[in-house]
Amino acid sequence: MLMTRGVSDAFLAVSASASSRSPAPRALPTGRRFFSALLPPSSSFSSSNRHFGPRRRLGRRSSTMARAAAQRLENVDELIDSVETFIFDCDGVIWKGDKLIDGVPGTLDMLRSKGKRLVFVTNNSTKSRKQYGKKFETLGLSVSEEEIFASSFAAAAYLKSIDFPKDKKVYVIGEDGILKELELAGYQYLGGPEDGDKKIELKPGFFMEHDHNVGAVVVGFDRYFNYYKVQYGTLCIRENPGCLFIATNRDAVTHLTDAQEWAGGGSMVGAISGSTQREPLVVGKPSTFMMDYLANRFGILKSQICMVGDRLDTDILFGQNGGCKTLLVLSGVTSLQMLQSPSNSIQPDFYTNKISDLVTLKAAAV
Amino acid sequence: MTTANGTKSPSTSQPLLPQAAQSLVDSVDAFLFDCDGVIWKGDKLIEGVPHALRALRSLGKKLVFVTNNSTKSRKQYSRKFTSLGVDVSEDEIFSSSFAAAMFLKLRNFPREKKVYVIGEEGILEELKQAGFSCLGGPEDGKKKVELKTNFWFEHDKSVGAVVVGLDQYINYYKLQYATLCIRENPGCLFIATNRDAVGHMTDLQEWPGAGCMVAAVCGTTQKEPIVVGKPSTFLMDFLLERFQIDTTRMCMVGDRLDTDILFGKNAGCKTLLVLSGVTTMSDLQDPLNEIHPDYYASSVSDVVDLSDSLTKGQ
Repeated sequence: MLMTRGVSDAFLAVSASASSRSPAPRALPTGRRFFSALLPPSSSFSSSNRHFGPRRRLGRRSSTMARAAAQRLENVDELIDSVETFIFDCDGVIWKGDKLIDGVPGTLDMLRSKGKRLVFVTNNSTKSRKQYGKKFETLGLSVSEEEIFASSFAAAAYLKSIDFPKDKKVYVIGEDGILKELELAGYQYLGGPEDGDKKIELKPGFFMEHDHNVGAVVVGFDRYFNYYKVQYGTLCIRENPGCLFIATNRDAVTHLTDAQEWAGGGSMVGAISGSTQREPLVVGKPSTFMMDYLANRFGILKSQICMVGDRLDTDILFGQNGGCKTLLVLSGVTSLQMLQSPSNSIQPDFYTNKISDLVTLKAAAV
Repeated sequence: MTTANGTKSPSTSQPLLPQAAQSLVDSVDAFLFDCDGVIWKGDKLIEGVPHALRALRSLGKKLVFVTNNSTKSRKQYSRKFTSLGVDVSEDEIFSSSFAAAMFLKLRNFPREKKVYVIGEEGILEELKQAGFSCLGGPEDGKKKVELKTNFWFEHDKSVGAVVVGLDQYINYYKLQYATLCIRENPGCLFIATNRDAVGHMTDLQEWPGAGCMVAAVCGTTQKEPIVVGKPSTFLMDFLLERFQIDTTRMCMVGDRLDTDILFGKNAGCKTLLVLSGVTTMSDLQDPLNEIHPDYYASSVSDVVDLSDSLTKGQ
């Protein structure tokens, strides 16, 4: 019979620094200069490797004021009249996989007819803005490339904003969307889906080389994820002085097909965080990088925006961090039960089943 | 370490000088060794190790090998030692693969439930030996996913635990399988063999460790695992049962501060950091480092080379 010291007691994972728990997204105080929320105190590219400590957070949690519980959306007119711009998440809000969610075309048409600006902000980095534009077109929606802000675009835009040198390279753990946006922005990249076929041999004398000219590693959703890429990204971050570690997003799961949820970018980013013991700079939601960018681009006041999404810890937090109104739709990853769970602390202003409620509730009110 | 008034004081770790080495050998009945970066790097023995182990055995010291590397079972590790010309028996080895199986056994994990494994042969072998049915492992490294409309990814609803360790065949299929089990099978356990960030999987360089695969699963499930390997002291219970030696008469010898040394400290052992692995002198002396081993030395062979009773005895 084994002497056990209360088996459960022994399991406290008392590791001092090895934990790579996903950081709790924090809200930014409003009115911060855009981009500054994302940048460490010294924003120059030549920051040392140790600059981003293991517990780095972006922005700070908003005041400890508890928000009122989310209200079910009823007065649609009041909401629509109070904002100029609607920002929509895509997966779980507009579509699920390649299938449009019911009633979406009519809803977008109605909002446009009322003179509202529509913007689409997605954490899904697998496509570029241009490729998303084509997806919208295939689904019969008229949305232009300029209205779309994907986290793939955000990664390239971030590098541009810090004057990332054009003679440095970017290693990508991610898909085509990131590669296309980097190319458009004039950056040289390595990695991407191609490296999904590369194998390693953990044998004596085997040495994995890596390009010492890589100055940034960008990590996003990657269905071709493998050990080769993890090692390559790890070597760059650990050994190339000043190498940046950028995450397009950290979504845990996402509706990549219409039928079920799939492991999201949070897993690839978590993996690199685990091997490097560093936290990344996150350019996608809930970081307000994209919010600041588009507010600046279109000259919009954030208080005049309503953020519509299906994830509390990305979409809704993104909206709250930016000082916008927020509407949660239950057509994606979040259920009413999750919203109302005592362990949930993120309360949107409103919630409703899906975006077409903006039309049906409006009609019912007449 | 933090002093009474809250300020950080410099490291209290002592270099293993001759007097200290002698005193250490005299005061310890069992030496616990990590393997990667301490005994070997990849498949290459670190210089002076066989001699050091023989010398310690000749003094009647118990030798135990506690490794977080879950890619092999205890039996497979014993074979590795033999192939390198070092005589170590299976019951002197405590691997995190063994720890995972023992954890499930102690919890009376039901035999009709299955275990999904993100990891290599070592975990599968230990689980099978303990009588559990497994899914996953290296085989699933060949499976691909198709993200197409109406494609449905199935998973076995009778999986009651997911065990995650170092896996050089990690891929999206496995991440998705584990994610579905943990998120959708009620009460499904999430167990990590260990969370080492990197390790010397080959002699020439460091490679991502289990910490990477575990963090990937944390990232999709937003859950923290139960960690059975170092620095958790789970394995210590087995060592105590086997050797009946007080932990104060044990010395943990390792190359990682946040696993080996923390394990030793948590269990009340003496601790010796060797600089032959992942930790450098500057890592040890970094003001941000809060883990201070009792001693540090360049490698295991210093324990015997510097110790009077052993050098004089030659």
